[in-house]
Amino acid sequence: MQILLILLVVAGGMGLSVEAGLLGPLGSEVGELWATFSIFGVGAALTFLLMLFFSPRNSPSFFAQPPLLLLGGVLGPVYVVILTLAAPAIGIAMTMIGILAGQVFKSLIIDHYGLFGTARRKIDVKRIIALLFIVAALVFMAKG
Amino acid sequence: MTILMIMLAVIGGATLSVQAALNGRLGSNVGVFRSAFLTFSVGALVTALLIFFFEPRHAVTLLDVPKWQLLGALCGVPYIVIMVLAVQRIGTAVATVAVIFGQLTMSVLIDNFGWLGNEAIALSNSRMAAIACLAIALFFIHSSSKVKTVA
Repeated sequence: MQILLILLVVAGGMGLSVEAGLLGPLGSEVGELWATFSIFGVGAALTFLLMLFFSPRNSPSFFAQPPLLLLGGVLGPVYVVILTLAAPAIGIAMTMIGILAGQVFKSLIIDHYGLFGTARRKIDVKRIIALLFIVAALVFMAKG
Repeated sequence: MTILMIMLAVIGGATLSVQAALNGRLGSNVGVFRSAFLTFSVGALVTALLIFFFEPRHAVTLLDVPKWQLLGALCGVPYIVIMVLAVQRIGTAVATVAVIFGQLTMSVLIDNFGWLGNEAIALSNSRMAAIACLAIALFFIHSSSKVKTVA
């Protein structure tokens, strides 16, 4: 069961790369914004159905949430447009490693300052080492 | 050009982790599918507005391309569902490493064979070295997120 779930998560990660792989060529054909729109349009339709059938029935309204928490949808397109621009120029692997570097760097900062209501924790040495190796990986990738 | 694109990708990753932190909190208030729906529908609205005012005319539209090119969201949405199912059972540390492992394997494959209409980039020695560095990085990410969750 455990192994099956892990394989499923690996497949999920592969899906993310396939998504990036589809976006690049699509963006250069129809334009980056249209390619991004295709992701969010189809995604909105799918997640609407998921929400309709599988969400708990009495969850609180979006309008009861602090507006800051609702900004995910504004940040999403930034990420997808960047994927569409970067992937054809530097390859999928380097794009993914760059994304990973940004995530680790940012999560260090979010934890350190306790931004967005997360618990405040000191800078983690292990994640700094991880970030250094990710940067090394980027350098190797850039060498070709 | 390469450096600029790498910088862009890093900014993209930072944006993604801010988004993940916000959506994590929203998801625990209203449910994961609701927060995912909000992200996608607001994303679609914002992109539609940008298209109206800024997108130049293109000879090819979304309706002209082969349908398989429109399947990107069908690869992204299952990821959300899988994470919801898996994280509580296998833990964040294992899930994080498994996702990154899957991403890397697939992206190296797509690059190497030039799948999905991408330019082929052969798996060279320095690319192998990059993958080795990432394996080490994954080890440290794993051991650091055993105690806490990665955003």
